[in-house]
Amino acid sequence: MSIEWIEQVLQLTVQMGTVYLLASLGEIYAERSGVLNLGLEGMMLMGAATSFMFTLAYGHLSAILTSIIVGALMGLILSILVVDMKLNQVVVGLAMTMLGAGLSGFFTFPEVRKNLLLRLNPSLPEEVLLIQQAQKLPEIQIPLLSNIPVIGKMFFSHNLLVYFSFILSIAMWFILFKTRIGLTIRSVGENPSMADSLGVNVYMVRRMTVILSGVFASLAGAYFFIGFHPFWREGVTAGRGFIALALVILATWSPMRAILGAYLFGGVETFQYRLQLFGLGAQSPYFLAMLPYILTIMTLIIISTESIKKRIGAPASLGIPYAREE
Amino acid sequence: MKLAKTIIMPHSVKIKRRLHISRKLSILTTFSTLVLAFGVSGIFFAMIGLNPLDVYSYMVGVYTSPTLLLKALERAIPIGLAALGLSIAFRMNFWNIGAEGQMYMGMFASTGIVLLHAYYDLIPDYLVLLLMILASFVTGGLWCGLPAFLKAKMRVNEILTTLMMNYVAMYFVDFLIYGPWRDPKGYGFPLSIPFPEYAKLTMIFGEFAYSGLLLLCIAVALAVVILRYTKLGFELKIVGEGIDIARYAGIRITKVITLGGILSGGIAGLGGLAIVSGIIGRLRPRASPGYGYTAIIVILLSALNPWLVVPVSIFFGGIFVAGDILQATLKIPGAAVEMHQALIFLFIVVGEFLKRYKITITREVVR
Repeated sequence: MSIEWIEQVLQLTVQMGTVYLLASLGEIYAERSGVLNLGLEGMMLMGAATSFMFTLAYGHLSAILTSIIVGALMGLILSILVVDMKLNQVVVGLAMTMLGAGLSGFFTFPEVRKNLLLRLNPSLPEEVLLIQQAQKLPEIQIPLLSNIPVIGKMFFSHNLLVYFSFILSIAMWFILFKTRIGLTIRSVGENPSMADSLGVNVYMVRRMTVILSGVFASLAGAYFFIGFHPFWREGVTAGRGFIALALVILATWSPMRAILGAYLFGGVETFQYRLQLFGLGAQSPYFLAMLPYILTIMTLIIISTESIKKRIGAPASLGIPYAREE
Repeated sequence: MKLAKTIIMPHSVKIKRRLHISRKLSILTTFSTLVLAFGVSGIFFAMIGLNPLDVYSYMVGVYTSPTLLLKALERAIPIGLAALGLSIAFRMNFWNIGAEGQMYMGMFASTGIVLLHAYYDLIPDYLVLLLMILASFVTGGLWCGLPAFLKAKMRVNEILTTLMMNYVAMYFVDFLIYGPWRDPKGYGFPLSIPFPEYAKLTMIFGEFAYSGLLLLCIAVALAVVILRYTKLGFELKIVGEGIDIARYAGIRITKVITLGGILSGGIAGLGGLAIVSGIIGRLRPRASPGYGYTAIIVILLSALNPWLVVPVSIFFGGIFVAGDILQATLKIPGAAVEMHQALIFLFIVVGEFLKRYKITITREVVR
């Protein structure tokens, strides 16, 4: 275990964790406002598929922008179904996950993809139409700082989205806990009828947070694909949306704690692969893979205690549709 | 009363909860949503240059050809069993979305019994299948009983725990099959040893579809008896109305929810048995292509009615089979099946909304 090895593991930990961090940030807002978005995985897949197609067609910037739009659309559909129509959030969320998985697989199927790419950009050369990988986002090394031994690579040698996610989570923590907007969002999740009687448009707040969660999930998918693992296969995110969902619980709905949790999960996953390479404990990857889920179940049990629930301010009306009484 | 929400600006859209949902309306809505779902999938098929009618005719072909119908039946059995389990959980308003994991635990338990028999010779031949049924029921049951107990005792959100436990179960089976349970003569493939004949559900009628259908019908009858004619079934319904109401009625909440959870997971566990002992004949990783999630669609489409589970799960079993055929003949991506299922799922859910609410559009301008 050389220094390089440790540096590389730490760097990968952060890069892997960023997938979870991005996806969980939007979900934290949605859940804080009382809506459980179980469609995270499907939205991530849509984001990954969109970024794949658009990177091939027009490059990275278009990929990120379009995946944001796709995420917003998915979020909009979800918000109409669960906020306006007040349908069961679990059922709709699972349906969205299936839809995202189905659509993303459908549109990236080689035959279909070829036609779509040609329609997007007719000047694409033949060999691009059927490749299974895209170009990775370039890494930006921060001069001097990235040369610090051990932790330099961990913090200062990533692509832009990683830096962006880190800054964003601090900003989103600030908005959620230190501003009026955040207070409004939290009050809607805590006691919607009270918020309503104080003049807050509960529906609008929830619509916005759900769309936001769609945007972030899709962006997380796009980051995962073009920023971390640019090799396409069907269902490429492999259940990471559900790990992000778990992370929201582990972070007890705080963007700040989500940073730590995300890197913890990122580290666990990095180790999973590293240990396999070493041939160390051939059985361990499966138990390591379980760890995020087990941790989450334990967190759920711990925060079910009334006193802790109060202290962290778990959204009391999570999963309950709001219907205005008139 | 719940009403008045503006959706489209120039018109005012009023949404009122219906006081009574007629059976005719309910059936009509379900059918029209199904037709709509097929229509939208058709648009997607047309987008990739296929004639939707061709695709539909292949799908219908699954239900008219006897050999394919048998295949659809085979796949309907794990789906149906999982859905039956859910019918009990959903009745008590326990959102068990862990049928998938409970099925994996069922597979684990039934394979475990076979290996105990084959490797250590602990169990006589004639007891193997019986013990497999018992073990898969108990293991699946415990896998759902735990979140049920946590929900009852400490109000831990069951949606999240059951969902997370799916992955724990799946990775656990992965671990076994890539590790200690791998067939030593299997050339390194992640497969268990093939089950002996007397450990397969095919031993009863030769064809798994028949014995499986029998198993499914027995389970349906059991679910109906439990839900309609036992004290537990009655208590489950009261708990479903609301935990506080149930508490006032003097029902022992913890006991009822935990028992309901065990029953729900146990029946799903039998679904796992059906997969390894009926369809595949051995254990392999990721043996369920999401039957546990399909079961959620099935039970919602059946409106929690156990009898309806049988035809509806055959319908969905057929969709899986149709997917395989479409992939082979028309070169349609496998994801198309998932997309098609998801669309049916979404439209059914929206149909629920149309059943429950009456929408009137008035042409007056609201600010």
